[in-house]
Amino acid sequence: MASIGVDVGGTFTDLVLERDDDGPGGRRVFVHKVPSTPSDQSIGVVAGILAICRIAGLDPKAVRRVVHGTTVATNITIEKNGAEVGMLTTRGFRDLLHIARHKRPHNFSLHFDVPWQSSPLVKRRNRMPITERIMPPDGRIETPIDLDEVRAAARELKARGVEAVIVCFLFSFLNDAHERAALEILREEMPDAFISGSSEVANVIREFERFSTTAMNAYVGPRTARYLRNLETRLASEGVDAELRIMQSNGGIGTVATCSERPVTILMSGPAGGVIGGRWAGAMSDVDNVITIDIGGTSADIGVIADGNIRIMNPRDTVVGEHPVLAPMLDLDTIGAGGGSIAFRDEGGAFRVGPRSAGAAPGPACYGKGGTEPTVTDAHVVLGRLDPERFLGGDMAIDPALAERAVREKIAEPFGMSLIEAALGIVTIVNANMALAIRSNSVARGFDPRRFSLMPFGGAGPLHGVALAEAVSAKDVIVPPAPGITAAMGLLATRLAYEFTRSTPTLISGPAAGPFEAANATLEDLAALAAERLAADGIETAAHKFERVAECRYQGQGFELRTPLPDGPITAETASAIADAFHAVHERDYGYRFDDAVIEIVTLRVIGFAEVPPLTWPELPDATSSDLSHALLYVRPTTFDDGKTVETPRYDRDKLAAGHVVPGPAIIQQHNSTTLVPPGFTARVHRSGNIHIAREVTA
Amino acid sequence: MSIDPVTLQVIGGALHTIAKEMAYVLYRMSFSSIIRESEDLGAGLFNRDFATLCESDNTPLHIGSIPGYLRGIDASMTTPWREGDVVIHNHPYFGASHSPDIAVVVPVFFEGRHVGFAANTAHHVDIGSATPGLIVDIQDIFGEGMLLKAVKLVEGGVRNETVWNYLRNNSRVGKQLQDDLGAQIASAELGARRFQELYATYGAATVEEASAELMNYTERMLRRKIAEIPDGDYYAESWLDDDGRNRNVRLPIKVCVRIRGDEAEVDLTGSSPQVPTAFNVPFEGSTKVACYVAFRSLLLDAATSAVPVPANEGSFRPIKVTAPKGTIFNPIFPTAASARFSQCNRMIDCIIRALSPVLPETSIAGSSASLSFVAYSGLRQSGDYWVFIEVNEGAYGGRPRSDGPDSIDNLMANTRNNPIEDLGMHLPMICDRYELRDDVECGAGRFRGGIGVVKEQRLLEGGWMTHEAERHTDAPWGLFGGHEGAPGRVDIFNHADPIGTAEAQHAKISGVVMKPGDTMAFYSPCGGGFGDPLERPADRVLDDVLDGFCSRAYAERAYGVVIDERLTLDSDATAAKRAAMVAAR
Repeated sequence: MASIGVDVGGTFTDLVLERDDDGPGGRRVFVHKVPSTPSDQSIGVVAGILAICRIAGLDPKAVRRVVHGTTVATNITIEKNGAEVGMLTTRGFRDLLHIARHKRPHNFSLHFDVPWQSSPLVKRRNRMPITERIMPPDGRIETPIDLDEVRAAARELKARGVEAVIVCFLFSFLNDAHERAALEILREEMPDAFISGSSEVANVIREFERFSTTAMNAYVGPRTARYLRNLETRLASEGVDAELRIMQSNGGIGTVATCSERPVTILMSGPAGGVIGGRWAGAMSDVDNVITIDIGGTSADIGVIADGNIRIMNPRDTVVGEHPVLAPMLDLDTIGAGGGSIAFRDEGGAFRVGPRSAGAAPGPACYGKGGTEPTVTDAHVVLGRLDPERFLGGDMAIDPALAERAVREKIAEPFGMSLIEAALGIVTIVNANMALAIRSNSVARGFDPRRFSLMPFGGAGPLHGVALAEAVSAKDVIVPPAPGITAAMGLLATRLAYEFTRSTPTLISGPAAGPFEAANATLEDLAALAAERLAADGIETAAHKFERVAECRYQGQGFELRTPLPDGPITAETASAIADAFHAVHERDYGYRFDDAVIEIVTLRVIGFAEVPPLTWPELPDATSSDLSHALLYVRPTTFDDGKTVETPRYDRDKLAAGHVVPGPAIIQQHNSTTLVPPGFTARVHRSGNIHIAREVTA
Repeated sequence: MSIDPVTLQVIGGALHTIAKEMAYVLYRMSFSSIIRESEDLGAGLFNRDFATLCESDNTPLHIGSIPGYLRGIDASMTTPWREGDVVIHNHPYFGASHSPDIAVVVPVFFEGRHVGFAANTAHHVDIGSATPGLIVDIQDIFGEGMLLKAVKLVEGGVRNETVWNYLRNNSRVGKQLQDDLGAQIASAELGARRFQELYATYGAATVEEASAELMNYTERMLRRKIAEIPDGDYYAESWLDDDGRNRNVRLPIKVCVRIRGDEAEVDLTGSSPQVPTAFNVPFEGSTKVACYVAFRSLLLDAATSAVPVPANEGSFRPIKVTAPKGTIFNPIFPTAASARFSQCNRMIDCIIRALSPVLPETSIAGSSASLSFVAYSGLRQSGDYWVFIEVNEGAYGGRPRSDGPDSIDNLMANTRNNPIEDLGMHLPMICDRYELRDDVECGAGRFRGGIGVVKEQRLLEGGWMTHEAERHTDAPWGLFGGHEGAPGRVDIFNHADPIGTAEAQHAKISGVVMKPGDTMAFYSPCGGGFGDPLERPADRVLDDVLDGFCSRAYAERAYGVVIDERLTLDSDATAAKRAAMVAAR
């Protein structure tokens, strides 16, 4: 039997296959890459699965589970080719999606684009006002819903050929009766359409964000659902009858059925795998405080894992394609800095690197595909850190002369620097940009990087690992076994997880605290929904686990912070424990607490999950001696960040064994990735396959 | 410059991040919606000579205003700066932008030396002014509420409980004021820590040199753009409705933009004398900053520039601002000067219009160029006040390559609205309507003007309301053949009988008593059109009709586009109609 993780990127589709039936107790892991097929990702996915099965010598029928990280929903938002969506909304509020939060994308601009107006998720013509009114704070009905209007709107939208319809009424988080009534009529009138209500998709306070989430769900819904169903069918027709699971933005996996219904939960499916992969690789070395940085061609994704826990982004910050989306997402910070980032001198004379990128075409100058602007990759080539003949394991030819010319003409000469200074400048600036992003995702959120290991991955990650760790004062660097496919590994290292939320405003401190009945009822409802979902996935009740979170704020604030809830119902006693926990979270995040302010729960959240046995990476054999000569490839001059050029040995990572110690300066090469060990640092090969790099301790 | 370009970028990035972090903590933590949702705040680090090291990019009007506060504080201090001080200040004649914007300043010491300041400003909901929250029709500056001039809230690490007690008891929402100051202090203290770390890492000289060079850089970028404009004097003028007391007395705004080489002067001579209400603009903290906003938006447009240009004082240097003393843009103490936003926005709109003949590819048609600032208030059953300040949006004029954005904060304003549901859960108010205006048709053009909003807020238990707005009498202009937009409008009616009780209001109304169910309906001005409407492609006009941005009748009347009852385009009739309209010109 076997499990496969398949992660689709812009250029390559990465695969990991783990067999657990290979000989007595033998687990074996295989990795593979195939070209992605952007017009229909499923073609590359199926081809990759069949190919890796062949490599593993496995009948595709023996694959039990396929976990898929997909960018299909995200791409719909980027390419803006989602469904034609219809919307029924409270009369008087037809344009909430058009107005958004009435804030411009830029402070100083006259020619800015307003994406929610120029490319709306729901065109104004398809936004139908319905007479109805629910009133706060108790959800009473002021004006009953006019069901004739609903039916007329449904028929009109049907006649227009709209394929998805959403129902978004004000205050539906307090009382969803009107939304349910409208949904019933829609489902009756338009049985084939993708129908959803805002209280089903994101049952939380704040109308614009809830409506936007619902609209986004419908916008990507029909196509994403079709893609997932096609993939399932295609796999079945190739004889793969494995259960197909999808990586969700919150780092848990879901079924095809649930992800088709709520595609809004898989918008960050791709990058989530990387963070989970980072957590998994850290755990192999018994390290549970990890900062991950996944450096690709155009961008870098930064994640923080504290005490082995992944962090979820504040719902106020989850935005996809400039539309807020209230779906749980791993806390990832993405910045426009990667191997393809272009260095240039701007018209004001400043030295800039990125966010413009050479992308895959033309790519860095050294690719010889017509690029003439110097990129970060070109700088590394100039500095002798990437060897032409072994680039991508020798799969791709690069020309150092082109890299030199680009760096010289575009940077060195305009700034009056030497070639080496210019190349170092490029690396220094891109590292500084990444380090700042790491700091704002760690230090600025109350995490002390000195307690964390920095884990660089993505092909280019391990070239920058040590410099970044130094810049943010991280404890050390851990380079995972296959940095180029860490995200695919993460797919086989996570759990089933379903998250349900509902706003139930409740005071938990101060003289007016309580009552807690409504909040406790919400928690029970949400747990029941999660249990139902897990049961539908065939998970036995005994294996169901639940995590409960309250999003709290000081009464009067506008931003909530996640506060863990103790087991059992909320009572006067546990309320004070929750209040203490909130004060602590507030102080960690902002450096300040308001001891005499009243604390309010705004939204409750229950995550139902079930563990899945994680990928087991084969341990390395013990080194028989400390001698590295068998792994030594050759020695070449290389320039490090201190500007010194030294003769630097290259080692083949595949020939390093557990316990080997590689003193810097050194370069450790493997297919798809190059690890830089600067002078003064030492790399130690861990039994798990990780490489730990730390500053050499001088006695 | 002596600092190398690599170090400059590295420190520039670090400074930018610090300012962002300071602002983040402030708005995430704060209690009043004007700070947390509207982000009506600014934050940054400053050296001992009050020069900006870095500044957050939240609200344009706050950018560049803090050094003025610092100079005002320094001139008013009664005891010297000490480590552990927290100072607050809001005096409009000592550098403040206007009195509700209270600055919190923490002096930063490094190795025992006073090296600079971490500071922020934020708009407070109520500082005990004559009417709750906002003021228009008052006697003088003392009607604005508490005037805080270099007050030490914490001195040498010791909280001055007497001052805290005073503050809590001189605002209608004392607890909110106190906790928002708490958020400001947390932000400033964070900034002070980061400041010390930065000096420890790079050394004072390098950091100061980098920040000086970042300002030079912004200055250089702006000068290059000014130099591309032909030298000359460019004029525009417009009218403000009234001063909020003396009705039907229009107030002129006159703008002359003088371009000489790589420098520009904005001369406001000829604009209205100062008015006896609070409808005046503090010169240092607001008039000048507004001019800079105009030039940055026109010449260093963030959306079209290849690289982001840091927002700092460097953008002020090539621009001279002239406004004679005793005029609406440069009032004399003790004239009140709190309601100053609309004048600033109108002045920016005039600067754009003045330069439109020489910047036809950059200028845009007239925008709503005002601001609707509403203070709703009332008493809770406990006897405590509630006060809520709302910023309503406007719309942009049509642009050379695109339609004017609808329903959005414009020019110098850039705030977020308040979630209707959040308001409804916590205040005795309910929003009954919030959508695009459908009572006017206007702004036709090759690129149409933006459509304003209508927002209706109902006070369930009654209370009070003050509104600071503009442009009920003068519609935003069209440009290069575009049609004009629509003026704004305010009605008050009772929910029980919306039509029978509706009464039209002036734009500026102070301390209006609202009965239970009384509702204010705000209609923002709509932007003017850009270019000849007959050049707008007929299929785009059809789209406008299908989306309800425009009626069939207006499509025919203004655009010459004929759309039949089945909502399909009649191409032949359109061609004929358009030809006839051209012939009739």
